[in-house]
Amino acid sequence: MPISPHMSSATTFLDPAALMRIKSLELRAKVVVEGLWKGMHRSPYHGFSVEFSEYRAYVQGDDPRYIDWKVLARSDRTYIKKFEDETNLRCQLVIDHSKSMGYGSQSYTKADYAATLAATLASFLMKQGDAAGLTTFAEGIEEHLPPRNRPGHLRRMITELERPAKATGTSLAVSIGQLADLLRKRGMICLITDLLAPIEHLEKQLALLGAMGHDLVLFHLMDRTEIDFTFEKSAHFRDAESGAERFIDPQLARETYLKRLAAHREQIQQSCDRYNVEYHWCPTDKPLEEVLFTFLSARQRKKASKSSAKFAA
Amino acid sequence: MTWLFPFYLLGAAAVIAPILLHLRRRPPQDRVEFSSLLFLDAQTPIPVSKRRLENWLLLLLRCLALILLALMFARPFLRSESAASTSPDRATLILIDRSASMRRDDLWQRALDEAKRTAQSAKITDRVALAVFDQKLTPLWTFEEDRTSPAARTTEFPTRLAAHSPSWSATHLDRALIDAVALFDTNTASLKKHILLITDLQEGTHLDALRTIAWPADIRLQVHRLDPANADNLSLALAASESTTDTPVRPDASANTQASTIRTRLANTRDSRLRDFTLAWNDAPKSDSITAQLQPGASRILTAPPNSTNATTLTLTGDTQDFDNHLFIAPPQPRTVRIHFLGDNTTRDEAASPLYYLSRALQPTATLAPVLSADKKLPAQSPDIIFLSGATTNAETSTALRDFLTQGGFLVHVIASPNDATLIKTLTGLKDLTITDGDTTDDYRMLGEVNTAHPLLKPFADPRLRDFTKLRFWHHRFLQVPTLAKLPKPQGAGDSVPLETLASFDNGHPAILTARIGKGTLILLASGWHPGDSQFALSTKFVPLLYGWLAAAGFSHDPAASLIVGDALPLEATQAHTITDPDNKTHTLKPGQTFTTELIGLHTIATASRKQTVAVNLPPDEGRVLPLEPQKLADYGIKLAASVDLDSTTASADQQRLSATETEQRQRSWWWILLILLAVLLLETWLAGRNRQTALQTA
Repeated sequence: MPISPHMSSATTFLDPAALMRIKSLELRAKVVVEGLWKGMHRSPYHGFSVEFSEYRAYVQGDDPRYIDWKVLARSDRTYIKKFEDETNLRCQLVIDHSKSMGYGSQSYTKADYAATLAATLASFLMKQGDAAGLTTFAEGIEEHLPPRNRPGHLRRMITELERPAKATGTSLAVSIGQLADLLRKRGMICLITDLLAPIEHLEKQLALLGAMGHDLVLFHLMDRTEIDFTFEKSAHFRDAESGAERFIDPQLARETYLKRLAAHREQIQQSCDRYNVEYHWCPTDKPLEEVLFTFLSARQRKKASKSSAKFAA
Repeated sequence: MTWLFPFYLLGAAAVIAPILLHLRRRPPQDRVEFSSLLFLDAQTPIPVSKRRLENWLLLLLRCLALILLALMFARPFLRSESAASTSPDRATLILIDRSASMRRDDLWQRALDEAKRTAQSAKITDRVALAVFDQKLTPLWTFEEDRTSPAARTTEFPTRLAAHSPSWSATHLDRALIDAVALFDTNTASLKKHILLITDLQEGTHLDALRTIAWPADIRLQVHRLDPANADNLSLALAASESTTDTPVRPDASANTQASTIRTRLANTRDSRLRDFTLAWNDAPKSDSITAQLQPGASRILTAPPNSTNATTLTLTGDTQDFDNHLFIAPPQPRTVRIHFLGDNTTRDEAASPLYYLSRALQPTATLAPVLSADKKLPAQSPDIIFLSGATTNAETSTALRDFLTQGGFLVHVIASPNDATLIKTLTGLKDLTITDGDTTDDYRMLGEVNTAHPLLKPFADPRLRDFTKLRFWHHRFLQVPTLAKLPKPQGAGDSVPLETLASFDNGHPAILTARIGKGTLILLASGWHPGDSQFALSTKFVPLLYGWLAAAGFSHDPAASLIVGDALPLEATQAHTITDPDNKTHTLKPGQTFTTELIGLHTIATASRKQTVAVNLPPDEGRVLPLEPQKLADYGIKLAASVDLDSTTASADQQRLSATETEQRQRSWWWILLILLAVLLLETWLAGRNRQTALQTA
């Protein structure tokens, strides 16, 4: 079901900078979710957690509880309303905790943005009764909270999110490999990262997760200066993760940088398309609501297409 | 533009440093934290060829600051003050020294040449005046004359200067300069005033009066010093100068030895090569001369050799400069004083008689030759002074004495008995005068009050000689004039002036009285000087008193003051004089006229009654011929022209540097450079600060 058009108006979104000024991550998430809810109440959309799967003819031995009485009354046939999963959606939020996430040209860093995004998602999901879990990784998995929907669980997640990043390198491939072992049940995996690492091995792991039946969503975070490379003066540029320094004249290096960045994104995009990963491009100056809204609407479209495909079948 | 320390200009080469620093592109020291260098390659530093000057304005300011710093240390100054071609019209006063020391070598000719050269090089719009000076300034060509006929100056200067030659005077540069300042009249007000002083600037130059004036700021003095081939000189002057008038007169000093005690002062200049000298009287035999040595810079007092030929000129030989080698000594010419003692000549050798003491006290001196005659009668020829003691006089003698007095005679009368009242009445015209014996007791009297301020007691004006307290008088007469006591003190100085008391005894009786009778002077003594009356003749006061009276009578014992050129001859104001100078020129002077000496040598002064020879010598300071540094004049506040024009080749680099230093100190251009430098540095700081701020903002 489409979301009401006025939600797309960027003017109603909170400025990320303004949002980030709210100290408490919990409060920040609440502000975003509240805003999102307000918009959503206008629509008949009530969430996606009740995963309606199919109707099938009642056979003996079925639980009569699941007979769709409305259909029976209308058509005098007994159908059983089948749900994909009887439990709620299990969403695992996977956050990149590497040092590169600590970079930010605005008043907040990518890590701040990622934490807010994760907290918002978790808050949103748990509000509608789904389970949310949290995994932070850098060179490997750092913390892992399995998806749950219990009072206090959101609190724990937020505490975990507020912990500062301390690792140096990023090994997305290793981390995802470990994650595949941890997540046995199918669910949605929201990967929030800046993807500033070679992605050769990433593809394999993404393929593995996809094969395991997980629904993969990738939030690709980047700072505005990382996108445009707006530096003017020559300087020694220091890698946040490795600490390596290189003397760079931005005037000369910009062109190459932008070219390479575009290629990198292209590569990611291709990988995502290949392994059916939902890709979200998130510059950190983009309002959070917009990201969430795009994400939700994309999910909706996907569900719609999935169910229509099923119906067609 | 000239530099005091041009070496410092090399410091300006330091501008290469900021240029190099500006050329060197500083590798940015900034470090930028960036998320990942994944897409960034390391870059090589910017190649040299790409180097170009950055912040050229800043560089310019920095270079300027360094150059200014170098300039400041080099201490620039302008020599334009001495550059005649660039200056506007000038008023130049040429001042030529014609003192005696200019007689050396060819100094005078060189001075004339320099004056001519200056006059010829002056523009027609310039004003040039000419003056010569020795002890006074003599203008020869004034600015006014120059204004009316400037073209005539080249022809007039030589003719006017030809009339002058070096004099025998001292160099009174101070007076000359003070007078020279006054020569600049209103015509020269708008011009650059300039005095060109052509002189030998000897050590003996008088400069002291310059301290009394403030030198005008707009007049510059340029000194053209004339140096002779060498300054070696031996000079001769009279020592023990006659200026010691406060020494007690010693008439009893042996008159006969006077001629042999001429003390001369000989001096040799510093660094002189001369040693040997000979001092001799003119035409004296060689045996009478003194040959000795005098070290350079030394001076010594030498007694003149015996003057066997009665010469008047003492000559020093041994050096080439002749002008100060003669000393003129006037021959002794004692004046005859005819003194008559009215009394018995036979008592001359009786120790108790007044004449005995008188004849012994009146000894001849260098200037006086007393001739003492004694007789009971007055001599046929009227004497100069008459002493009367104890002699009885008849009416005829009294009248003669009165005539003697009224015609200007000098009479000393010792009142010996009350009988003398008649004579005194005749002399003074006081009718009620009485004389009694003063004291009949055996007691002695002393002088109670002495009017030492009176001219007749002049020898006792010196406080050291006023002690009369040991003088005892055994006998005295008491002269009483009752009407005189009642009269108020006399006002005028005419005949009516009665008796005046010069000294009185301790009992109030007058001891010495005086009266003007006509033109003459009468002195009355209440007690005699012989031992019968008092101790007076045996005391030290007697001879000075006598000679004091001789001086009062017009026969001064003081030796004729030795004169130097420029002094006025001692003339008597009441008489006409005929003066013969050493060139045998005769000058006839009316009474009251004065005569200033200009030549060295013997001058003869002739009056109706007597003839006197006076020696005039060179001022001793003229013998000090070592040249002074022209800078010395600056010590007296005189503004010297920037370049001190030294004629001699001895003008060392040091002197030029000194003058350059002074010019530089006056101009103080480094001060302005410092101000500009500070301004440039401030500007540089501000600009650099602004550049940095914009750089920070863009980063």
